[in-house]
Amino acid sequence: MRRGRILAIKWGMNPNSSSLGVDVTFLLVGATVLAAVTPVIGALLRWRRAVPVEPPAAPPAAPPAGSSHGEPA
Amino acid sequence: MTLAALGRLAVRSWDAARGTIDRLREAHRHPPRRVRLERFGAIVQLTVPRALVFVDRALARRAVAIGGAGGPAGDPAIWGGPETAVGDAPLSAPLEAHLQLTNRCDAGCRGCYTGASPDGARGEWGLAEWMRAIDELAAAGVFHVALGGGESAVLPWLGELADHARRRGIVPNLTTSGLAGLDRLLAIAGRFGQINVSLDGLGPTYARVRGFDGFARADAAIRALRRVKREVGINVVVTRGNFDELDRLFAYAAERRLSEVELLRFKPSGRGARAYDGLRCSDAQHRALLPAVLAAARRHAVRVKVDCSYTPMLAHHRPDRALLAELCVYGCTGGDFLVGAKPGGQLTACSFAAPPPAAPASSDARPRITELRGYWETRDAFGAFRRWRDAREPCASCEYHALCRGGCKVVSAHVTGDPAAPDPECPRVIDHARRARDGRVHLRVVS
Repeated sequence: MRRGRILAIKWGMNPNSSSLGVDVTFLLVGATVLAAVTPVIGALLRWRRAVPVEPPAAPPAAPPAGSSHGEPA
Repeated sequence: MTLAALGRLAVRSWDAARGTIDRLREAHRHPPRRVRLERFGAIVQLTVPRALVFVDRALARRAVAIGGAGGPAGDPAIWGGPETAVGDAPLSAPLEAHLQLTNRCDAGCRGCYTGASPDGARGEWGLAEWMRAIDELAAAGVFHVALGGGESAVLPWLGELADHARRRGIVPNLTTSGLAGLDRLLAIAGRFGQINVSLDGLGPTYARVRGFDGFARADAAIRALRRVKREVGINVVVTRGNFDELDRLFAYAAERRLSEVELLRFKPSGRGARAYDGLRCSDAQHRALLPAVLAAARRHAVRVKVDCSYTPMLAHHRPDRALLAELCVYGCTGGDFLVGAKPGGQLTACSFAAPPPAAPASSDARPRITELRGYWETRDAFGAFRRWRDAREPCASCEYHALCRGGCKVVSAHVTGDPAAPDPECPRVIDHARRARDGRVHLRVVS
């Protein structure tokens, strides 16, 4: 079975209620350090007990479609 | 390494270790959602280190035990199609929701993006409605909520809502001005994952940016919160008035032993629309942002975050695209990685966006956050926010476009009248307009 890979890691949490904050501290140290950290995270995911998950339930009926939505104020 | 640097390192390590213990305790009490399936594979949440990890299907098959009915290969239905890359299609649900619990606030900041006032908004929801919203977000698979306002700390039921989110596997985070409701907040601070206090300058700079002298109160709130909680940071809206003070803000964060500094771009929304021309950063400041903040973060050993709207300014320095993707650095992900909700529950692509209009055939009002799962799959949901692939030049030929997604649509809408226009504050867009000045292509930019 293919080992699989980590595609991305979003570090930390975002308390800011107005936009999505991303941690760019890693830009200080570059890809080398991230390349060292990612396998550790991968190993953590592979070696710990598999996390149970139920496939997502079907959503309730969607509201009517057809209008243009959500433009900035 | 100097003795002072060693001392700082020791203090940081101690704080990190104690913070880890706190997080593990909280995760034991209220286990957060640990995984969600996606077309590309899955998103797995880790408590230590605190991260959302995007994995492909092969790794998801190892890390996740999938229950329920599977497809022909035993795979879940969401994996029925071809395996996609992150960003090829909207996620199955947002990672986080930004809930504007109230628009009540006495501060009256001149650049307030919600136009908050002491009276708040009409039809604001109460605890029961927001608890139903949390239930819907949990059912959709949302990991985190960021609670804000107005000033949410004054709400007597804020702690109860945070508890409810925890019980439903969602980590609640909070932004506060620190100017009101502090005593109540101190008693419930432990219920939040991360609390950031808005601090747009030190001493007189705070007053220059916000229009009133609130620094001493905000500073007192930061110190009080930090005494009861380790994961406390500051949100800094970067303006032309405080840009030169960024290094001192990082020094302040280090001195107060804060866990992070989050830098936010000024948005022309709410009262901020009127204040935009006076407060927005200059083009030169935007171009200098990344080196300046990384130098400050390194000098003071403080973690730094930037908001999604800064991605064009990061791309200007041509960082490794693979590295940005691995760090989940994306531009506008409204209506995809995140959604917002107004004080009356109206669903939005992000906090700055207007709620979608009611469909013509519908007698009902605009979609609410409690209808997230239904609206999420609607054709043309979130309008321009999800149509970022239909890009014009110079975005169309930009190698960072798949990450940046055209920059901030709120700024584009304010400056050009078109949310789908290239971000007029993006250095590449400005350079393109300069080159085209004598040609047939004209883009409205601000520099």
